[in-house]
Amino acid sequence: MKPITLTRAVQTTLLTVFAFLLTVFILGPLVWLAIRAFATTRTYPNLLPDGWTLHWWDVVFNDSSMQSAIINSLVISPVVVVASAIICLPAAYAFSRFTFFGRKTFLVVLFAVNSFPKMGLFAAMASMFYALNLMGTFIGVVIVQILGTVIFMTWIPAAAFSSVAPSLEEAARDAGASRFRVFFSVTLRLAMPGILVAMVMSFLAAFDEAQGTYLVGAPTFFTMPTAMYSMVQNYPPQVSAVFSILLSIPSVLLMLAARKHILGGQLAEGFQIR
Amino acid sequence: MKALRSPALGFLMALPPVLLVVAFVGLPIVTAALFSLGRTDGLNQVIAMIGQNVHKPEAGQFFTIGAYQQIFADVRFVPDLVLTLSVTAIVTLVVLLIAVSLGLLLKLRGGWLPNLLTGLSVVPLFIPVVIAAWAILMFYAQDGFVRSFLSLFGINGPTWGYTSVSIVLGNIWTSLPFAVLMVGSGFQSIPDSMIEAAKDSGASLIAVIRRILIPMAGVPITIATTFTAIGVLGSFTVAYFTGPNTPQMLGVELNNFFVGFNQPQQAQVLAFVIFFFASAIAATYVWANFRTAKDSGRV
Repeated sequence: MKPITLTRAVQTTLLTVFAFLLTVFILGPLVWLAIRAFATTRTYPNLLPDGWTLHWWDVVFNDSSMQSAIINSLVISPVVVVASAIICLPAAYAFSRFTFFGRKTFLVVLFAVNSFPKMGLFAAMASMFYALNLMGTFIGVVIVQILGTVIFMTWIPAAAFSSVAPSLEEAARDAGASRFRVFFSVTLRLAMPGILVAMVMSFLAAFDEAQGTYLVGAPTFFTMPTAMYSMVQNYPPQVSAVFSILLSIPSVLLMLAARKHILGGQLAEGFQIR
Repeated sequence: MKALRSPALGFLMALPPVLLVVAFVGLPIVTAALFSLGRTDGLNQVIAMIGQNVHKPEAGQFFTIGAYQQIFADVRFVPDLVLTLSVTAIVTLVVLLIAVSLGLLLKLRGGWLPNLLTGLSVVPLFIPVVIAAWAILMFYAQDGFVRSFLSLFGINGPTWGYTSVSIVLGNIWTSLPFAVLMVGSGFQSIPDSMIEAAKDSGASLIAVIRRILIPMAGVPITIATTFTAIGVLGSFTVAYFTGPNTPQMLGVELNNFFVGFNQPQQAQVLAFVIFFFASAIAATYVWANFRTAKDSGRV
């Protein structure tokens, strides 16, 4: 049995090396950045900073433009998610439960949004936004951000609705429940994890959107990511580090809330055309 | 529920997002295509007025390919294109390798470590790209962690910040979560009994992976591949922050022409070059999806 234990040992070693490299690759840059937020200065090649301070947090919290960027982000992203849900969820239900003319074409059209380079699209959209007077408006920013959420808000919930067995709905109907009752307490409830994942993904897509938001929103509406672009160029790195931590908080909270469903395959399930 | 399932109602319910996309993506792409070919009327009037160096068709002609000729003759175009396509190919390959390895580890070995690693590789999904790009730049910079750490052992480490290496590393970082989730769930949905049966009839581990696991997870693997490739092809942020001045990714060059040089027509030409390659990849995806849907009788 010797050769088997040997390969087992080799396997374990390889796995450990792989695990170590992957951990450093993924977490390393984030930890390295986070340390900066509490550092006075750092001298190369020391790994740790010369001293520790909370000064940079004061700088961020006392800067009014950064405050308004934080508020803008926290207002606009939820509005985008709600608007996107209102527009897309009925469609997701239709894709899952109805057969109609153009169904497959519609699904492919919604997917195709992703294959045109974003910057090219925004450049093209600019002339249209000028014509419609949407430049520098709240609605303009919301529209730009919704576009990136459409694929998540239609495809993932559609897959979630499809995974609810029609026989369950029929059983509830037979037991005397009204159509609306069946929809809200059977179909919608069972599809909820998928819808939740779609909302998390949409929030992240909206919250993260910088190029289109900048093009349409600036100089009236600065969000956190658009502010980050100019900050990296104009402030000491420590300030950007503080801002990065603030910018990651909503996402990390959402990750913890939806972790189970996202790792459980709701996201992956949603990207297969049916 | 039968009465509710009228095709007309389904069509109407599905219409709003499609109309939104047609109005704010489809229409701009059509006007952009016309603009890139020299049409400066209609919705293109404003942008043609603002833009520098706009190519217009000669009298009596409807179109001109002047802007395309200008871009293709630009000395930066070929190096940019080569960089973009090679970064796309390398990133897609590495991401797929990691995703498949993790998926196989999780399926065949299980335990806490593969689970932890899968959870870990999903982390970038929740970090805004701007931050990711900037964190990666600092990590691999001249005074960054990699060089500082190696100097502890007296090694003069490489500076990857502002080189194409950091574009590759950054794009791997941001592309990893989606591929890992997609491929992982593909492997998970394969019944264990199938693997057991193959092992019982004497198949080696390699044979199980090559003949059963990879083919059965074919669709999720294809989806992960196409999404990764399309994403990297048109990517901007990572390359904008961490890349060298020349050559640049086409996405960054597009931004240069639009914002920096104020040449919107030339920017649109670059958008269509990226779009050309992206649609070739997207077509593969749609084809693969419908082929398997047909095989299993879903369409």
